[in-house]
Amino acid sequence: MSAQSILSVRGVSRSFRGLKAVNEVSFEVPRGSICSLIGPNGAGKSTFFNLVTGYFAPDSGTITFEGRDITGFSPVQVAHLGVARAFQIAKPFPGMSVTENVRIGALFGRAGPRDVDAVTTQALELAGLAALHDREARELTVGQLRRLEVARALAARPSLLLADEPCAGLNPTETAEMVTILRRIRDAGATIVLVEHDMPAVMQISDTVLVLEAGSLIAQGKPEEIARDPRVIAAYLGTDE
Amino acid sequence: MTLQTLVDGLVLGGLFSLAAVGFSLLFGVLGVVNLAHGAFVLIGGYAAWTLLDRFGIDPLLALPLIMLGMFCLGYAFQRTVIQWATKRASLLASMLLTFGFALMIRNALVLVYSPDFKSVTPSYAFDSLSFGEVTVGLTRVAALLVSVVLLALLAAMLRFTSLGRTIRATAQQEQAAALCGVNIRHVFALTAGVSAAFAGAAGVAIGLVMPFSPPDETLWTINAFVVVTLGGIGSPAGALVGGLILGVINTMTAELVGAAFPNAMMFLLLVLMLVVRPAGLLGNSFKGSR
Amino acid sequence: MKLFVSGRPAWVSIGLTLAGTALFALLPLWLSPYGVRVGQLFVLAAGLAVAWTVLGGFSGYWSFGNAAFVGTGAFTAALLQLALPGWPAGSAFALALVVAMLFNGLLALAIAWPILRLRGIYFAIAMLGVSQVCFELVSNIDALRGALGVNLIDIVPKGVRPERFYYWALLLATLIVVLVAIMVRHSKLGYGLLAIREDEDTARMLGVPTTRYKMIAFVISAMLTAMMGVIYAHNLGYITANSVYRGDFNLNVIVYSLLGGMGTIIGPIVGAGIMTYVTQVLLGDLLDTHMFITGLLIAVLVLAAPNGLYGIYDNHRLRMRRRKQEAQR
Repeated sequence: MSAQSILSVRGVSRSFRGLKAVNEVSFEVPRGSICSLIGPNGAGKSTFFNLVTGYFAPDSGTITFEGRDITGFSPVQVAHLGVARAFQIAKPFPGMSVTENVRIGALFGRAGPRDVDAVTTQALELAGLAALHDREARELTVGQLRRLEVARALAARPSLLLADEPCAGLNPTETAEMVTILRRIRDAGATIVLVEHDMPAVMQISDTVLVLEAGSLIAQGKPEEIARDPRVIAAYLGTDE
Repeated sequence: MTLQTLVDGLVLGGLFSLAAVGFSLLFGVLGVVNLAHGAFVLIGGYAAWTLLDRFGIDPLLALPLIMLGMFCLGYAFQRTVIQWATKRASLLASMLLTFGFALMIRNALVLVYSPDFKSVTPSYAFDSLSFGEVTVGLTRVAALLVSVVLLALLAAMLRFTSLGRTIRATAQQEQAAALCGVNIRHVFALTAGVSAAFAGAAGVAIGLVMPFSPPDETLWTINAFVVVTLGGIGSPAGALVGGLILGVINTMTAELVGAAFPNAMMFLLLVLMLVVRPAGLLGNSFKGSR
Repeated sequence: MKLFVSGRPAWVSIGLTLAGTALFALLPLWLSPYGVRVGQLFVLAAGLAVAWTVLGGFSGYWSFGNAAFVGTGAFTAALLQLALPGWPAGSAFALALVVAMLFNGLLALAIAWPILRLRGIYFAIAMLGVSQVCFELVSNIDALRGALGVNLIDIVPKGVRPERFYYWALLLATLIVVLVAIMVRHSKLGYGLLAIREDEDTARMLGVPTTRYKMIAFVISAMLTAMMGVIYAHNLGYITANSVYRGDFNLNVIVYSLLGGMGTIIGPIVGAGIMTYVTQVLLGDLLDTHMFITGLLIAVLVLAAPNGLYGIYDNHRLRMRRRKQEAQR
C-alpha cells in the first residue's frame, strides 16, 4: 500500500484552544493521482494543508512523504523535499513579469540551475500562460493570477502539489481551463491534493475524494461512490448550498 | 550620581517627552513617521523668540497662541501634503517626503534667523529656586511644568473628550470608524494638528531652557524617535516614560562617560531598542504590540 | 553553478556599462578642471547610489544610514595609513583599501542579523541610528581623530592632474560597483532579493533563504560603499568625521534611486546625473538655498512621480501595450 502512496497520514490530530480542528485522520494518497479534500466550512481542510506543509505541527500522529517521516518539519524543509502549495488567494509578485514569477519558483525549487529555463517554459505552457509570458503580474485577471500561482508552484518541480481552492471565484470557462491544467499536471507525473468547493470540478477530475466533517474523516472513495454516500449527502451536500 | 544630575535629567526628560508626544501620536494613529517634527519644534521656539524679542510678549503667555498657529499648520500639512503622499506612494516614500520638508524648514529658518544660536530669555531667566543642595533655574521649573501640564491635558483629552475617543477609534479600526460615519481625513488632520501644536509648545519650553539653532531639528526628530522606541507608540504616558528615561540617561552619560557622549548613547539606545522591542516598553497603545 | 540564471541578457548590460564607462573616461580630455570636478561628484554619487541599490533597491530594505560605511571606510583607511608611516604610497593605499572594505564587511555582518529582522521604517531608522553612533564615536573618541581630522597619503602619480586622476579613480570604483550590481541582479541571489522586496513571506515559502540573502546583500552593499568612501577620502586629502559621515549621503542615495527608478541599476545613475547637474550646475550659485531646493525637489518627486522616471516610462509602456491589444481586438 504505502509503496505506491506518496503521502500517508496516520492518526493525525491538532486542536486549537481545545477545539479539535483535525481529529485522528488517516489516509493515503496514491502516487500520480488527484485527490480532493471536501467538506463544509470549518471542517479542517485548511488546517490539514497547514499540517502537511509544516506551518503547524500535529499534536499527535505522523505524516509520511515519499516514505520519509516529515512530522514537525519546517515549511522550508517540506518545500525542499518537493511539496509545493498554491494558495487560494494568489500571491504573485506584482512588479514582476509572468515569466519572472515562474522563474523564481524554478530557481528556488528542485530544478538544477541548468534546467531553469526549460522548467520555466514547461510550467508556463502547462498552465496555459505561454502567450502572457511578458505581462506584468499586476496586469492579469483573477483567473490568470490563479494559473500563475499554480505555474509558480509547479516550477519548483514538486512531486506533490497542494492546491487550495484553485477554482474559487472563477467563471465556468476559467474553471474548465483550470481542470484541464490540473489534469495535465497530473499526467506530467505530479500528485495533486486539492481543497475545493466547486463540486462539478471535483467530480470531474478526482481519482479519490476525502470528506472531512468537524475535523474527522467521514468518507473516502471514488467520486461516484462519494456522491451516493448517504452520510456525505447528509453532512455536506445536503446542508451546504 | 548626584541628586542634581537626576533632577537635571528629569527636567530635560520632561522636554523630551513634550517634544516627542506629537510625533508619537501621529505615528500611532496614522502610521506616518514625520521627519519634519523636529523642524516643527524649532518653529515653535523661533516663534516664541520673535514674540518676546520684537513684541515683548512673555513666552508663557504666547504659548496658547503658538499652539493654535501650529495646530493650523499641522492640519493643513496633513490635508495637503501627507494625505496625498500616503495615498499615492509607500509609507517609506512619505517618510522621505517629510524629510524634504524638514530640509526646507531648516533652510528657511537659517535664511530668516541666521544659523546662530538663539535663546528665549524672559526677565526671570536668571532666577532660580533652591531645594537643599539642588538648584533649579526658574525657567527650567516653568519648562517642566509646561511639559507635565500639557501631557496631562493631552492624556485627558484622548481619554475623556469625544474627539479623543474618535481619534482612538480611528487608530484602531480605520474602516470600522469610517463606516460609523467618522470623517477619517478630518480626524487624521486634527491629529496632525494636535501633533504640531505640541511640537510648537515643546519648542517654546526648549527655548526657555537652552539655546537652539536650525540644524537642531534633526536632533529633535531623532530624540522623538528614541522616546517612542523607549516608551511606546501613541500615548502621552509612553512619551513621558520614554522622555524621562532618555533625559536621565542623557545627563548621567554626560557625567559618567563624558560630556561629548550623550548623543552617541542616545543613538545606541535607539538601535538597541529597535532590535529588542520596536514597539517600546509600553507597546503600541493603539495597535497592540507586534 | 551557472553564474547568470536570468533570461535577460546580463552580457548586454555589462557591455553597455563598459562602453559607457569608456565614454565617460574620455570626458576629462575636453572638460575644464571645474567640469571635471562636477564629473567627480556625479561619479561618486552614482557609485554610492548603486552600492545602496544592491540592498535597498533590490530587496526593498531602505537603509537611511549608508554614510556609516562611507565614513567608517574612510577612517579605517586613514587610521591604517597613519599606523604605517614610510610605506610606499601605492601599497599603503592598496592595503588600506582592502582592510577598509573587509572591516566594513565585518561590521555589516555583525549588525546584520539583529538589524535585518526589522522591516520597513524600523530598518531605515535603525540604520540612521547606526550611522549616527559611528559618527558620534569617531568624533568623540580622541584616538579615532574624528574631530581633529587625519591626512591621507598622496597617491596621485606625477604628471597627472589631481582632478583628472580622482575622476578616473572614482570612475573605476563606480565601474566595479555597477558590475557587481549587475552580477547580483542577474544571479540567483538577485532573483531572491527581488522576491523578498515583492513579498518576503511568499519568498520564504517558495524556498528563498531570505535571511541569508539579505545578509549577503547587506555585506556587499557595505563593502562597495566603503570602497567609494576610501577613494572619496583620498580625494579630500584631509578628512574629519563631519566631512565623511555626511547626512546628505544617507539621504541622497535614496533620492537618486527614487528619481531614476527604484530597483533598477540605471535608475540611480541617471538620478545621480540629474541631481548633480541641477544642484551643481543650474543652482551652483545659490548656496544659501541649496538645502531648500533639495528638499523641494524631494517633495515634488514623491508627490508627482513616486516611482521616478522609470515609473513614468513603465506606465507609458503598459498603456501603449494595452492600446495595441485593444486595437488588435
